[in-house]
Amino acid sequence: MSTALRVLTIVSLCSLMTVPLAQGEEVSPTITVGTQEVGLTAGYMFSHRLTEFHTTKQHGPALMPSWMMTLTDPIGDSWYRGQISVGAEMVYLQFREPILTHGVGFTPRIKYTFVALGRLRPYAEFTGGPFWTDLGGNIDEQANEFNFVLSGGVGVSWFLTPQLAANLGYRFHHISNAGTAFPNLGLNASLPFGGFSFYF
Amino acid sequence: MMRQRLRPVYSVLSALIVAATLGCAHTIDVTPSSTANQGSASQSIAENDRVPFVIEAFRMSQNGSPQNPSSEIERRILNSLRETRLFSTLVPLSGQYDGDGGKMVTARLAIDETIDSHPGATAFKGIVIGASMFLLSPFIDLDYDYAAQASLEIARWDGRVTRYEARSSGTAHYNLFRTNPAIIAELKGRVSEACLQELMTQLVHDTNLYLASQTPLPASTIRTVTVNARRSGTAQGVPPAVPVSESPAP
Repeated sequence: MSTALRVLTIVSLCSLMTVPLAQGEEVSPTITVGTQEVGLTAGYMFSHRLTEFHTTKQHGPALMPSWMMTLTDPIGDSWYRGQISVGAEMVYLQFREPILTHGVGFTPRIKYTFVALGRLRPYAEFTGGPFWTDLGGNIDEQANEFNFVLSGGVGVSWFLTPQLAANLGYRFHHISNAGTAFPNLGLNASLPFGGFSFYF
Repeated sequence: MMRQRLRPVYSVLSALIVAATLGCAHTIDVTPSSTANQGSASQSIAENDRVPFVIEAFRMSQNGSPQNPSSEIERRILNSLRETRLFSTLVPLSGQYDGDGGKMVTARLAIDETIDSHPGATAFKGIVIGASMFLLSPFIDLDYDYAAQASLEIARWDGRVTRYEARSSGTAHYNLFRTNPAIIAELKGRVSEACLQELMTQLVHDTNLYLASQTPLPASTIRTVTVNARRSGTAQGVPPAVPVSESPAP
């Protein structure tokens, strides 16, 4: 937790130092087709034991650097007016329970950002990809180290400048091995997160 | 033995590298091509035969929604008009021109843009590309359509109104890692250029209409425009009559 928080704090401070405070209400991000987004997000994972067979109370910090490419101009004319972007994310998870272990994954990511509210931009996202963790094999739920991580969530971006946004959100996390080994009960967790994105 | 086993892997990797390298190129198709009419949209006219061209109104829309006309587009149109060498002076929308009752033409411009970034297909392709861990990215093209329709209504000094219309469209094809605002700007630039060139070609075709020596200035006239207030009984949607009468000055 402390490492992730430290990284996020440093990034936050560096980002805020570059924000001209005088900009006020003039911020109006213009994100067009081909605009790229580089982001750094950190959060903390809390386990959900969905069945009586789930016993592991995994929890710990998460760090997620990401890259996205905007693929459409704003679509629609109503509240749902938004843009689609596609990209990829690295995910690092540290499991503090039941034993200190780690997990690393690489996930493609798709995001729909609502643009009707100006500098406040809610979004919905989905990620999924391979995930390696040495927690697998050490718990009753997962037999092996090679797994997949799927996550879906919502968030909101607040544009501090036309190029820089602060993000807050929530993801539901699922880790399992797609039936490549048994047992494969899956690990589920909630992951509230915060971070920053830079657009160029 | 090991090398033979790995040969298919090397082949696949080589194919992917070649595809990724070649796949980085983007293509833009424009219809009609802006080079098709090049060279025909200009005239050489005696200086004293040219009349001023005054933009009276400029309307823009994007996918049917009204937009603020950008000065960049207006400048582009004025440049195209300048290249025709048809007119002595070009007065932009915000410009002031004191015609002094001399010959001049006034223009009403409208540009309608249609943009289609194929969001449904793009989202689907994005999912497929992501699911393939980006390996299919060089093989899956993303498309962006842009079309421009320009209409120009020119009123001559004697009241004759001529309307010109031109349309051009284009599609940019590119892959995920090649997506760039510059590609879209290039597409819009080429389509707009083709559209304006088509419009100017039509205008140059009617050169004789705008020669000062061809049509004399009508006798000094006083135009009276009377607008009646709409009666309460007027049917909805039917515009009230606006009589226009012309009477020679005493």
